[in-house]
Amino acid sequence: MKKLGSESLTDLSIGAVFLATGGGGDPYVAELITRAALDKFGPVDLIDPDDLDDDDFIVALGGVGAPTVSLELLPSINDAVDTLRAFEDRFGKKIDAVVSFEVGGANSLIPIIAAAGMGIPVVDGDGMGRALPEAQMMTYPIFGVLPTPAVTTDYRGGITEFHTKNILEFELEIRQCALSSGGMITSAEHPMTGKQLKASIVPRTITFSVELGRILREGRGKAHRIFEPLKTLFANSIYGSVHHLYTGKVVDSSTKIIGGYDIGEATIASFDGSGPPLKINIKNEYLLAKINDETVASVPDLITVLDYETSTPINAERLRFGQRVTVYGIGCPAFYRTEKALNFVAPRCFGFDFDYQPIESLISSASPT
Amino acid sequence: MRIGIDVGGTHTDAVLVDGDNIISSTKALTSVDVTSGILEALENILSSSGVQEDSIEAVMLGTTQFTNAVVERKKLSEVAAIRIGLPSGAGLPPKIGWPEDISRSLGDHSYMVHGGTLYDGRPIAELDWSEINKVIADIKSKNLDTVAISAAFSPMTPQPELDVAAQLRREIPGVNITCSHSLGRLGLLERENAALLNASLLKLANSVVSAFADALRQRGLKCRFFVSQNDGTLMDAEFVRQFPALTFASGPTNSLRGACKLTGLNDAIVVDLGGTTADIGILQGGFPRESNIVIDVGGVRTNFRMPDILALGLGGGSLVTDEGRSIGPQSVGHNLVTQGLAFGGSVLTATDLLVAAGKATVGANQCLVTLPPQTIENGLNTIASMLNDGIEKMMPSSDPMPVILVGGGAILVAGKLEVASKMYCPEHSGVANAIGAAIAQIGGEVESLVCYQDMPREHAIKKMSDAAKSTAINAGANPKTVRIADIEETTISYMAEGTTRLRIKAVGDIPTQTKGALL
Repeated sequence: MKKLGSESLTDLSIGAVFLATGGGGDPYVAELITRAALDKFGPVDLIDPDDLDDDDFIVALGGVGAPTVSLELLPSINDAVDTLRAFEDRFGKKIDAVVSFEVGGANSLIPIIAAAGMGIPVVDGDGMGRALPEAQMMTYPIFGVLPTPAVTTDYRGGITEFHTKNILEFELEIRQCALSSGGMITSAEHPMTGKQLKASIVPRTITFSVELGRILREGRGKAHRIFEPLKTLFANSIYGSVHHLYTGKVVDSSTKIIGGYDIGEATIASFDGSGPPLKINIKNEYLLAKINDETVASVPDLITVLDYETSTPINAERLRFGQRVTVYGIGCPAFYRTEKALNFVAPRCFGFDFDYQPIESLISSASPT
Repeated sequence: MRIGIDVGGTHTDAVLVDGDNIISSTKALTSVDVTSGILEALENILSSSGVQEDSIEAVMLGTTQFTNAVVERKKLSEVAAIRIGLPSGAGLPPKIGWPEDISRSLGDHSYMVHGGTLYDGRPIAELDWSEINKVIADIKSKNLDTVAISAAFSPMTPQPELDVAAQLRREIPGVNITCSHSLGRLGLLERENAALLNASLLKLANSVVSAFADALRQRGLKCRFFVSQNDGTLMDAEFVRQFPALTFASGPTNSLRGACKLTGLNDAIVVDLGGTTADIGILQGGFPRESNIVIDVGGVRTNFRMPDILALGLGGGSLVTDEGRSIGPQSVGHNLVTQGLAFGGSVLTATDLLVAAGKATVGANQCLVTLPPQTIENGLNTIASMLNDGIEKMMPSSDPMPVILVGGGAILVAGKLEVASKMYCPEHSGVANAIGAAIAQIGGEVESLVCYQDMPREHAIKKMSDAAKSTAINAGANPKTVRIADIEETTISYMAEGTTRLRIKAVGDIPTQTKGALL
């Protein structure tokens, strides 16, 4: 079985920020805690989904809330393990392995902390292949895995149980819980068998994220220089192709915490001020990119913003006036383009008044600036 | 006319400028007491130009003393760190992720107490005064007199930090305190780190500012004096006593602006070689490229908005060890002229390598330096490869760019660097940062609580931007050069939705006066 040790954490974090498409939270703090956990308990087993037994019992674990909050309301080292223990205690089930909600951002790391502390494997894969803001958008419920029984813990160690079988109700309840508990909680949910997991997981995204992070780290330099290596990497993956959307300077960016989400808009203008700017709508993630009111990419396809000079991916909450950036769009994993999945992740699910069109049909030619 | 002074670890430089013209420049050694070095530089520049004291309108001071103190882990005070945030953040104590040596320099005095607020202003936990008083008693028993205080969400709700600070002042009269909310934006760990570094420099700041004021008074200069900060604008003396960390990277900012002025190049790599560090930065359109992500100062993650600078522990006074295979980061600094081999001392420094190689001469009373050829070769290779690697990390692309060498340690570069398309070492390059200080910009800042429900956001920003520009122009900035440098928005808890603290900073150049008008 593959081992995941602290030496891979930096790459995993960078890759995870890229795949987080602006959301998912800054993984720096999570990386510090994960490193401390791996140093204490040793590397964890990273199990391929195919190597799980059909009757293994797996729980999905991660943070729920507004990413900006955890820049201030810091997580504690015990959060992840305490949440899994609370699940086992409350529901009398032994957990065989833990899996991530989303590979994007800090939620790629939280299951690793739990796995290290509990001495169980973490599954190589996740329920989104990116970051998305709500529970019903995960592949697990879309495939029919029930969200509960579930437990959450908050910053005070307060435990809440959830029992609804309805995913939309669950999302409302858990969001409300996060809001009233300081904006960020840890959740153990979507209990499933190995068989269910194999059917629903976006596979091997942890390994992919480490590789993506390695390419970004080793290729540090102007964003257009990283374009070819990225194209090659994504061409051989579960994702679609990479497209250059824009390069320019952030002339306006505002995000606010509203109803437990980071909501806002960013405007990016070309360096010489010529031509129309690119506008990005943000709700935790970069959801929609427009030029002249024409959509050039939208959720569930990935929109990611890189620092133009270093190709370092930038989270929405770190986006600032004056930054020089390159924006890339990437086709989402094919599953998210099925009708079943689009019921939960199409632009209309985010309040936009148009139907999803794949990025490659919106952009005829993909060329880096 | 203005005087720009740059106090480096090794040299104190001064320039006299009249509008766009450099009238004269001088280089003196930084003295242990700092003051006599400044006096010497002032004396040189005033006597060589024959200018009267009362025709000097302002003196601008740039100093790398505070950055050097952090990089070298010297002259830092021990600091007690109090984080108000439990039960959140357990397992992530203050100074987590810091290099061990600088963490040790500040001492092992980290405290975490209950309190702080959530995003909506509600308390994470109530302040527990018995817990806090125990911490204060412990700080007292250790005879610590400097404290950094941080709290979750303090930029939105500073009260817990202020309450603990007030209690500290009652219990420990005269205690030096830096509260993290006074250093800006969201990001608890980075803001806390900035507060810790700032606190560790407070005592040094006091002596630096006093020494400078004394030096000016002694030389009969009654004009105002300013200190340049990291964004290339100026701050007054009292402000520096409280926020020395805001001078971080002001040296590089000044030398980049000075290098631009001296060469007329707007896009280039600038390497500022001092006695202790080599600071590599990028000029883009005549201004320093700003760092986009998180700023590392001496290995510590902070949230300062600063030029993107890579500081290498390589300068004229850097110690050479392992037969030239290792150079720096320790440096003899201003003691180069007594301790360096070329000056009759007994310490092998980077400067001695160049002297021994016959590629440089230093000072009037130069001594012969003889070193094993292998050490010279190793040493020169180490210097070149440190600089090449450093520049490569900073280059926007693999295309070679012009490299401008500035600073007193520029002699360390004996030949063309591989990564450079062309090398420049202009006249007055040794005093580039004093020139940058002298042409530093004037900032205008406005801050206000606005409600976007009452006034649409674009209107509010437009209105405040105009106000910031007027403030800068009123403070003396040239209207033609004024631009918005920073916009910061912080949502405020406990208030109507859309209530935001909006802070906008405008900057502009000092107007250039008619040549010779005052001569």
